[in-house]
Amino acid sequence: MSTYWPWWAGAIGLALVTINHTLITDRSLGVSAAWDRVLHWRRERELERMDEEFADDQALAAALAAATAEHFGTGTGASTAPQAPHEKAQPLEADTESAASERPSVTSLRPAPLVTQAALLMSIFLGGFIAAVASGRFHLRYDMGPGFRDLVTADSTTMIAMLFVGGVLVGFGTRLAGGCSSGHGLSGCGRLRPVSLVATAVFFGTAVAVSFLLWKVI
Amino acid sequence: MRTRGAILLANIITGLALGYTVTNIGFGDFAALNRMFTFQDLRMLLSFAGAVVILVCAFALLRVRRTPGRIHAGVIPGAVLFGTGWAISGGCPAIPIIQVASGYLPALITIVGVIVGIRLCRWANARYFHLDRGSCGL
Repeated sequence: MSTYWPWWAGAIGLALVTINHTLITDRSLGVSAAWDRVLHWRRERELERMDEEFADDQALAAALAAATAEHFGTGTGASTAPQAPHEKAQPLEADTESAASERPSVTSLRPAPLVTQAALLMSIFLGGFIAAVASGRFHLRYDMGPGFRDLVTADSTTMIAMLFVGGVLVGFGTRLAGGCSSGHGLSGCGRLRPVSLVATAVFFGTAVAVSFLLWKVI
Repeated sequence: MRTRGAILLANIITGLALGYTVTNIGFGDFAALNRMFTFQDLRMLLSFAGAVVILVCAFALLRVRRTPGRIHAGVIPGAVLFGTGWAISGGCPAIPIIQVASGYLPALITIVGVIVGIRLCRWANARYFHLDRGSCGL
């Protein structure tokens, strides 16, 4: 078994992943957002379909003008100003704020296609598997290791309950806060967004407090 | 505007690199994670903080978006819940995936929990909170 990477290699690796994703996709990296969209794929697919339908602002304006002309019997009454494309039910603030001040090549008003978010999650699994096998750390286990056993619980039933409850808190909390360690922690803090700085400080501080409780008290 | 194929390829590369990197840093190891949160071992903490420092410099140089963001009512309670869940289960949304990939089969339970939590949040927000939560990632 090999040791883990030194801190500087980890820092460079995480930074390169985030920078690469941002520059190539024009979008922020956010794993919890990818989860959210994949899990609500029916609604997201419908929104995507509507986005595609109204993607061409000029075509939309022309269609509205034609419909207006047909309804009122005149071709001059309709506004030809392009309408805003369909917005999602949950506005994506990171992309809608001060877009004008950003470099055009790294801004986008539309979320990435749904299938690409699913690909991101599956690729994380594959990347982790390759790393585990290549480093000799891959072992099928029915527990979470000695650390979890010593600090949280050695009982398998309690372990399942704790993992489930922990997972629910992670899922609920990341979506309520609007991001996770990749979205707020890397992408958001990298942009010095106040909301991401606050969220990261709070979730990291809370994790520190709870971990000290697990280590020192429980 | 990037093409669909380019975004798909970029996300595959990002996922592979992220999974590979995070696994090799040790974020999937509960004991190592606890040592980071209790400051017994600063290696992982420095990895994360170092990445943020590099990103701040790189994004500034590249003039990548500098949006102010909005601290809505869900940020702090959401972050508290997330931090608690992360410390208990050892997983943020990406970590249970690499835990399973490393052979920690019980992490599947964490993934189920994450799925339930995300769906529960959207339902609860639509029904009770009505928060414009925004999103960091797209």
